[in-house]
Amino acid sequence: MYKFTRSALWGAAFLATSFGLWSEAHAQAQGPRSLVESKESLYNNIYVYKQGSYYDMTFGYNRRLYTESSYNTLDDRELPMFYTRFMTTSLIYAKNVTSVLEIGFGGGRTSWYLHRFLPDMSVTSVELDPGVEAMARKYFGIRDEPNFKIANSDGRLYLQKSKDKYDIILIDAYRGPFVPFHLLTKEFYQLVKEHLNEGGVVAQNVEPSTMLFDSAVKTIHSVFPQEDFYLAEGNVVTIAYDGPPRSPDELNKSAEDRTAQFKLRYPLAGMLSQRRRLPPDISGGTIDPSAKVLTDDFAPVETLKAVENHNRKWPDQEPNTH
Amino acid sequence: MAGSGTEYSLSGGAAQATVLGNAFFVGSVLMGFEMLGSRYLFPYFGGGIGTWAGLISTVLAALTIGYFIGGAIVDRHPSPRVIAVSSAVAAAYLALVPVSADPVMEIILNRIGDGPAGILIASSILLLLPLSFLGTFSPVAVRLLLRSTAETGRIAGLVYGISTIGNIFGTLFTTFWLIPTLGSRNITYIYAGVLALSALSMFILGRARR
Repeated sequence: MYKFTRSALWGAAFLATSFGLWSEAHAQAQGPRSLVESKESLYNNIYVYKQGSYYDMTFGYNRRLYTESSYNTLDDRELPMFYTRFMTTSLIYAKNVTSVLEIGFGGGRTSWYLHRFLPDMSVTSVELDPGVEAMARKYFGIRDEPNFKIANSDGRLYLQKSKDKYDIILIDAYRGPFVPFHLLTKEFYQLVKEHLNEGGVVAQNVEPSTMLFDSAVKTIHSVFPQEDFYLAEGNVVTIAYDGPPRSPDELNKSAEDRTAQFKLRYPLAGMLSQRRRLPPDISGGTIDPSAKVLTDDFAPVETLKAVENHNRKWPDQEPNTH
Repeated sequence: MAGSGTEYSLSGGAAQATVLGNAFFVGSVLMGFEMLGSRYLFPYFGGGIGTWAGLISTVLAALTIGYFIGGAIVDRHPSPRVIAVSSAVAAAYLALVPVSADPVMEIILNRIGDGPAGILIASSILLLLPLSFLGTFSPVAVRLLLRSTAETGRIAGLVYGISTIGNIFGTLFTTFWLIPTLGSRNITYIYAGVLALSALSMFILGRARR
């Protein structure tokens, strides 16, 4: 999991005023922040910091840039990282909620939240780095429980080998500045689609400040006809699904129903105010028309990530949405 | 043109420049294809340090083979045609990679898995043969350019230096310009084309020497 602080400022500014849920871990935490443990793993340099009752995991020395996960030791159902709450909007869309696959476990907050509120749902999370999983178990309250499983694998390899299908697939496999290209291509999303049950949905955390976002949106759209966007404090959570679009009324009813059914901490209906749609051809100024679909053959993710796109404009929300 | 000097050596500015120019281009393709190898392997074996270890060790193994065999062959057949044939074989192999890589990688992944064995076999199939042939270039070039033992050090240094500059260029140009612009399959065809031209120039050099 990766929180994109570079562009968090504008998002935080407007969301803090328009949305009551904003509560960044660092805004709540009291006292000085201290390094608890650092560890060089196979893939990362992992740092765990403690501040008040919160633990933070970062993958680089510069913790402002690379915070991956945040955990409140006093409340394991809190999601201190704002965008992770929006990953749960996938619950609004999925026809059934019996199984979820997460690619990119990190500190495991999103998957653990889903596990705690939907204990009957089978949760599988794929994490590449065994060192990250070990830290999550040590400091982030993660433990083995029925219906909660962590698999140690590359996300794409896991899907390639697995025959299982899921109602929800969450993708959050960014590591600091590193974007694995093979988790962003059309071939990858086709693989994801093959592992979705009928009525299933994909949620992905994408950082919108660079041209990589434009290409990612087009790539997802090349596989999934429906794409909804949730503006989440500098990050954008993209929800993609097959079939006809869901109407705002339908989404609102499902959000109310599922929030009540599972007694969710973060009400889904409230998040619908951050929902945005683009025209069916993805035009309209939000996405650069020159952006290309990424494939296994052509995926210059590092180059695209280096090109900033500061002038991104989102359409207003649909009038009949909450 | 070339042909004066001792029995086996190339002399004349044009002949030397051709060999050294090819040292640069062959060096560029060699490292460029290593970088490109990551694009072929990552989707199947993951983007981790293990895949890079497989790629790098395979390239070094190919160079080892190329150095040994190239050095042995050129003492028996001191002709530019040795590297002409090597480059031509590597060009043909690379030209087959774009259409065959995906099915081959899939078979390896399904039969052998994504562990060290799978990674090493996949990177060997992708890289070992063509890069072994390219690895013959430097020892052969040293032998061809050498006119007397008194200049062995200078010639060996020149060939390896220029070839390594080619390595650097190939790494950077592939990573920062070709991959963001063209796509892996097209780049592979371009490499095959560069090697074919290199082979052609060395064939011509071999004929001119007669």
